[in-house]
Amino acid sequence: MHGIITIIRKEMEDHFSSTRFLLISALIVMVGVIITSMVGMAIQEELKGMAKPTLVFLLLFTATGKLFSFVQFIGFFGPLIGIFLGFDSINRERVSRTLTKLLSQPIYRDSVINGKFFSGVIVIAIVLVAIVLLISGLGIRLIGVVPGVEEVWRLIIYILISLLYISFWLGIAILFSVIFRSTATSALASLALWIFFSFFVGLGAGVLADALAPISQSQTYVDPGIIIKHEKIQRIVSLFSPMTLYSEATNTLLDPMRKTTRGLILMGPLERLSISRFQNPLPLEESILIVIPHLLSIVAITFLCFGICYLIFMRQEIRTI
Amino acid sequence: MNHLLWRKKFFILLVLLSLLSWFAPVPLIAQEERKDLRPERGISVYTEYSGITIPKGETVKMDLTLENKGKTDETIDVKISEVPKGWKATLKGGSYLVTGMFVSNGKSRSLALTLEPDKTVGPGTYVFHFDARTEDGKFTSSHKLAVTVKERDPGMDDIQLVTSYPVLRGQTDARFEFSVEVVNKIEVDRTFNLTAIGPEKWEINFKPSYETKQISSLRIRGGQSQTVAVEVTPPRDAQAGEYPILVRVSSGEKKAEAKLTVILTGIYKIDAGTPTGVLSLEAFPGKPANFSIFVKNTGSAVNRNITFSSFKPENWEVTFKPEKIDALEPNALKQVEVTVKPAPQALVGDYSVGVLVNGEKSDKTIEMRVTVKASTAWGWIGVGIILFVIAGLSALFIWLGRR
Repeated sequence: MHGIITIIRKEMEDHFSSTRFLLISALIVMVGVIITSMVGMAIQEELKGMAKPTLVFLLLFTATGKLFSFVQFIGFFGPLIGIFLGFDSINRERVSRTLTKLLSQPIYRDSVINGKFFSGVIVIAIVLVAIVLLISGLGIRLIGVVPGVEEVWRLIIYILISLLYISFWLGIAILFSVIFRSTATSALASLALWIFFSFFVGLGAGVLADALAPISQSQTYVDPGIIIKHEKIQRIVSLFSPMTLYSEATNTLLDPMRKTTRGLILMGPLERLSISRFQNPLPLEESILIVIPHLLSIVAITFLCFGICYLIFMRQEIRTI
Repeated sequence: MNHLLWRKKFFILLVLLSLLSWFAPVPLIAQEERKDLRPERGISVYTEYSGITIPKGETVKMDLTLENKGKTDETIDVKISEVPKGWKATLKGGSYLVTGMFVSNGKSRSLALTLEPDKTVGPGTYVFHFDARTEDGKFTSSHKLAVTVKERDPGMDDIQLVTSYPVLRGQTDARFEFSVEVVNKIEVDRTFNLTAIGPEKWEINFKPSYETKQISSLRIRGGQSQTVAVEVTPPRDAQAGEYPILVRVSSGEKKAEAKLTVILTGIYKIDAGTPTGVLSLEAFPGKPANFSIFVKNTGSAVNRNITFSSFKPENWEVTFKPEKIDALEPNALKQVEVTVKPAPQALVGDYSVGVLVNGEKSDKTIEMRVTVKASTAWGWIGVGIILFVIAGLSALFIWLGRR
């Protein structure tokens, strides 16, 4: 235990003193502030004359101002924080021959990998909490709405999910740094995976859905069954991407009016009439229950990723290098 | 000088003109006198009819005519010289009682004669004499009018009431409107009084058809008819049953009656609700949820064949147990179990589900707020997966740790 804490402290010292970390956090803070001020002003404009707006505060995080919302931004570029924090964590030590020196100290081998991972998680948590607090403060100043208890809870859960999601990417980066000897290779591999999940899974899902359930553009009438099937295939395929998991979960969680994670719903006229009779936000526990499969998937892949990383590192021959 | 000459000329012109006018009409007057064969003077008095028969108690109205047959204009005095006992005879011209009038030569003028019997006048023949004479008394004329009074024939009434629908049926809180046609069978304009006798506390009004004002009498021209609406409003606490209403139309001594009937069926009214008053329900997608409603007959009639239906989203199931109530006595209460089963794909959130209780001539809708909650089944599966992953990770730590 003592070894882990030492490693964590040393790792964090490294992170906070590195220019790389400074740059990336400065970028994220800047973008976050820009987005929030943009969204905040739009909300301010929109809420003029409204008697009692409900759940406005969360709009700061979910509303797409002129470009994209904060949640979308973290979903897309958040993985980069994880990757940058972890892509050279093991192989840099290896290249600079400090790993053997480290292990000759009275430190267990699992302490090294655990310490490196947890220090990364802590740094991510600090960055996230800082950004969310920054946006909240700025938002309160801009729109003059104080968040309610439920909104605060939703934000806390959002931070936890984001932490897990970015930690997953951290785990991926550490895994590649364990596998590949060269830091450049591991960085490129992590980035390639990020690009794959960000762009190609979504693209591939569309292509596959078009192939299996084609919606012809020429016909004026389209069978709703086909559309649903198309949507279903696209959704199932894109759910393989952690990014989709994360964005669906957080969008539903931060928007209490959203009643499902699905994008397209087949709804009859009577059902629409019936559900529009009572327009009220979902309670927090209902929102959580809706996204619980997503949450559990994110937790599971994060743990799994770290487990594999741990397994490979522990089985690796180190001293011979 | 000149002035004087002018005057002279003017005078001559005037004389000439007056002479011309004097001679011109003379030949015309001579021609007329040749044709006129009338006596110098002569008058006569007569009534429209010289003998009539009337039912008992009826007033006679006719014209008395004074005629100047001669060539001279006359002022004629007229009087009713003989009036039988019990009768009141008046001669009127305009609004005055007349004793004499001027009649120019060759013309005749009429006066309105009214003969009014009082109640003592029985059947029989009554003779009236009318005398007329010129102002100087040289010429006279008399006329005789015989009025035969007959006992009233009961079958031959001269007021008639016609109703197309004498019996109306409806709920207690309804308003009944009968249409009664009043026929004035004689050729005299009359005013009719309208009265009605109904059960106590019932409200009965007469109205002209298609108008809202309430009337108690109406005037009908001779030989014409008019439709009157009889509006009947029963009191709210009236029992179901048959109620007769007597409508009487009278004019003087004469009257006619019509019997109308209202059949009350009681009030059809049902009430429904949940026993606790709670109108919300929680359900899970694809899982049935129960609640019970009560159906109460708050009317005063037996409500038969009460069925249930629902307003719900597609693919939802709403079932009732029992499916219908055959008969519900007034003030009776019955409980019905309702099962709501949301569609398996139902979204989480609040839905409005309407439960309709359709009774006889009455219905009631209960709107339920059905909150569909997220199914927790996935949660437990997920927790299992997480526990499995954590167990695997722990096993890994134990197996590979501390090297």
